[in-house]
Amino acid sequence: MRLRRTLGPAEFAGSGAIPNGLLLSPSGAASLPTPVAHVLSVCVSPNHQSNTYSYMKLRTFLGTTLLTGAAILTTSIAARAADDTVKVGVLHSLSGTMAISETSLRDVLLFTFDEINKSGGVMGKMIEPVVVDGASNWPLFAEKAKQLLDQDKVAVTFGCWTSVSRKSVLPVYEEKKGLLFYPVQYEGEEMSKNIFYTAEAVGQQATPAVDYLLAQGKKKFYLLGSDYVYPQTTNLVLLEYLLSKGVPIGNIGGGFKKDESDKIISAGKYTPFGHTDYQQIVAEIKQFAAGGKACVINTLNGDTNVPFFKEYAAAGLTAETCPVCSFSISEDEFRGLPAKQLVGQLGCWTYFESIKTPENKKFTTNFLKWVQAPKVTGAPDADVSNIVKEGRVTCSPMVLSYDGVYLWKAAVEKAKSFDVDKVTAALESGISFDGPGGKVTTQKNHHLTKNVYIGETKADGQFKILKSYPNVFGEPFLKGTFKAKTAAK
Amino acid sequence: MTQTSANKYRTSGTRALRWLLVSMMFFAGVAGAAEAGRGVIAKAIVLEDAEAQAKAVESLAGNTEPVTRDLLTAWKEGTIYIYTAPDGAKSAVFLGSDADAEGNVGVTSVEMGEVLKGVRVARTVLDSADTDSGVRLAMKKVLDVFALSASDPAERLRMISEVGLAQDETELDALQARFKVETVGDVQRGLREAIALIELKSEDAGVRAAAAGRLGAMGSIPSRDALTALSADAVPEVAAAAVGALAAIERHLNWVNFYGTLFRGLSLGSILLVVAIGLAITFGLMGVINMAHGELIAVGAYTAYLVQNLFSTGIELSPFGMKISIPGFGYTGSNLDTYFIFALPLSFLTAAAVGILLERTVIRFLYRRPLESLLATWGVSLVLQQLFRLTFGSNNVQVYSPSWLSGNWTVFDVILGWNRLFVIAFAVAIIAGTWGLLTKTPLGLLIRAVMQNRQMAACMGVRTERVNMMTFGFGSGLAGLAGAFISQIGNVGPGMGQERIVDSFMTVVVGGVGSIAGTVIAALGIGVLDQSLQQILLNPVLGKILVLGGIILFLQWRPAGLFVTKSRSLEG
Repeated sequence: MRLRRTLGPAEFAGSGAIPNGLLLSPSGAASLPTPVAHVLSVCVSPNHQSNTYSYMKLRTFLGTTLLTGAAILTTSIAARAADDTVKVGVLHSLSGTMAISETSLRDVLLFTFDEINKSGGVMGKMIEPVVVDGASNWPLFAEKAKQLLDQDKVAVTFGCWTSVSRKSVLPVYEEKKGLLFYPVQYEGEEMSKNIFYTAEAVGQQATPAVDYLLAQGKKKFYLLGSDYVYPQTTNLVLLEYLLSKGVPIGNIGGGFKKDESDKIISAGKYTPFGHTDYQQIVAEIKQFAAGGKACVINTLNGDTNVPFFKEYAAAGLTAETCPVCSFSISEDEFRGLPAKQLVGQLGCWTYFESIKTPENKKFTTNFLKWVQAPKVTGAPDADVSNIVKEGRVTCSPMVLSYDGVYLWKAAVEKAKSFDVDKVTAALESGISFDGPGGKVTTQKNHHLTKNVYIGETKADGQFKILKSYPNVFGEPFLKGTFKAKTAAK
Repeated sequence: MTQTSANKYRTSGTRALRWLLVSMMFFAGVAGAAEAGRGVIAKAIVLEDAEAQAKAVESLAGNTEPVTRDLLTAWKEGTIYIYTAPDGAKSAVFLGSDADAEGNVGVTSVEMGEVLKGVRVARTVLDSADTDSGVRLAMKKVLDVFALSASDPAERLRMISEVGLAQDETELDALQARFKVETVGDVQRGLREAIALIELKSEDAGVRAAAAGRLGAMGSIPSRDALTALSADAVPEVAAAAVGALAAIERHLNWVNFYGTLFRGLSLGSILLVVAIGLAITFGLMGVINMAHGELIAVGAYTAYLVQNLFSTGIELSPFGMKISIPGFGYTGSNLDTYFIFALPLSFLTAAAVGILLERTVIRFLYRRPLESLLATWGVSLVLQQLFRLTFGSNNVQVYSPSWLSGNWTVFDVILGWNRLFVIAFAVAIIAGTWGLLTKTPLGLLIRAVMQNRQMAACMGVRTERVNMMTFGFGSGLAGLAGAFISQIGNVGPGMGQERIVDSFMTVVVGGVGSIAGTVIAALGIGVLDQSLQQILLNPVLGKILVLGGIILFLQWRPAGLFVTKSRSLEG
């Protein structure tokens, strides 16, 4: 869903180190009893990523040479493992463009497994993580999902970041009746019975943010985003929402695109990934905001925010004259942004690191302590060798991954079974967990009821919480729902 | 995480201390004078109920003690903390900056303005005093009064236009009173605008129409919304005046956009030029297809980053598992701002050194084989990118813009950003320097001779090897300068060179390979065309596509670019 940078060939070229590291990892070895089938299935797949390919070739070589030894070793382990462990899949990009975001989620998942195993595991079984690398390559995500379900027979998978990777694995999970927990804010308009969306739906981020801005007396809204599915869909929903709130269409900036029947098919201004020149757009916003009471709704992604905010500040626009409310900048992204230029601007998430609750204090302290000496209790084979230790923060996608694991654990314990159908039924019945971001409750529609927070960025990359909306219902299908109100007006 | 938060507390601590010193000196003369604001604010901060806090702050309306302004600002900025005494009593405090070995600091009571004796606490256990939106709104009302008579004209102007846009008739007298004593031209104009805006709400139709006329004549962009509302006025004369004023503002806006586009085009062109000028030398003059040009730009940008860190907190790098740690000078504020002046020549020198190294080890063997130089330099660029990743991490690094590069002048409602003005001046200086070097110096003469005919120059006794090396170094150095500048407006990361390389080649090819003048004209032309299309189409993507399409057509028509250079080295 959120793409941080454009995909360049160089990015892939520079990513070889991590898969090789994984290859030598014990978790790689754990999947060796049936490596031939796996390697074959990957090698015959139409895979154009040269480095992934060569990694696979290397893997084939090592796989066959290690096969004999590994098979002998693992048969005894596997016999024991089947009784007191449960396999759980982790499907994130550990190399390529998205690695920068997704490795944080891998880290927090391993941390959560460690925490759960330390306190006795799930129904007495230790969680055994099976970490696979989607390598920022969407078809590979589907391959890896197949591997997790067919070979490793994982009970559940936690994974995916971009919407396109989720869409790529969705048919696999539906066909093979797996269960996937998806943790990153997304555009909605999707509900699979095999996916559980702990992510923020549009109604848990964009519309509360607009409510807040309207309450602050804002009358004009400029929509700006990166050109892909999440900003486009979100802004269309927002357009309907703003109109339903009585904001005249003339007060919504950024431009509209209409089809032949005069129906608006795109609202707002969009720039491609890697766009660097925001002069004209900022000049337009300056004129738009000249009359006061204006704000910007920003769904720009990753590092295009840097030239935008630098230009914004240089044009004399500030959080006081025209605040920018961003949906794709969390504490984790902040590490690569010019904090100075962002001070005072707004963000909206269902979790901030600065939340002052005992649950959050415990979570952040334990996580930051854990990354200094990472290990997974009960799963000595888990690879924790390349977990970054410096400058770590916690952010919403990480906490929603964490919540997801605990919700799954609670569902398994309620269903008294690891069976996907039974666990799904338990999840649909409504399970609550007091997470770092407050209480979250599962819903019948596979989304979560959770708290939404509006925060203001500070120079240290943290958010000061300005307003919270407790227990917001997660509704994926919002498009078209605000029309009736407009007509009634 | 711990590092940054510690830094944050340190800076807020120093800020608080500095504030305290200033205010103490200020009030030394009026010691004993009642400071009502201090007590009210100190009590309000520790209240549990946000509404009660807002009420307490509102009660300060009309309070003009500077301490009120300073304390409210500190509270808003989060530099006031809540200290819980052993007996459970809460009080608002500033943190000292005198951390001892355990990281504990002394605290200063907000209520008394004195250091609390014998109290030392760890920074991390204190929570900063929060504000919610209601409290902030109340603060704003109190602080606005200060702003209207603020000593800083910009602050005054901001307040005046805010009051004007609110169209609150009760403020009219205050504005007119201010207008009588105001001396700064810009602020006077702002006052006239604000007064006219408020008068749009007048009961008297004549006053309304006259105010609309005045706003139209001023070309007041902020009043467009108010005038649009007025154009539905019940009195036809007033509505007509509003429509007329809107038309006048629209005309003004067209000119603003015209000049704005021209300026933005010039600045974009200057960036293209700064980025491409190095390539115009290495590719244009020398004929080396240097795919690592983008990485030389990145070398310059990373140099600026290192210089910045050296001037502030110090350099911490861990390439290849080694730990490099160089203590910084610890500068802040305007001292830190000077880092950029040092970064510019250093980035030139570093990139030039890398360029010379590249020329000596790779390129000099490939002068006659352009295709192989393309492949070799492409490889070098990948190696360099990986080196950046290993040294600086794959995340972007933050380069801070000096305050003198992050402001703007607004002339005729056109925003002239200082960074943009700087890049234009910078481009002019680089072109002048390059032109001077090539035409006015002995080295330039040798460069031109070697580039025209390498063998003949060698026969005449020119050390062509050395000239090649110097020329390539110079071109690379220019790329480094470009990198230092790009760090001020865009991203600095391992992939930054890749984003620029296409633009660079495009500019050089359109201008005509081998012609510096062609590169200049091509850069400015592409810049202005791109910005004009963006302005007309209001779509950044479509504009860029049209520019690229136009370039393809142009090269069909003139394959050799704008200026065709007749050079034997290129033909051979």
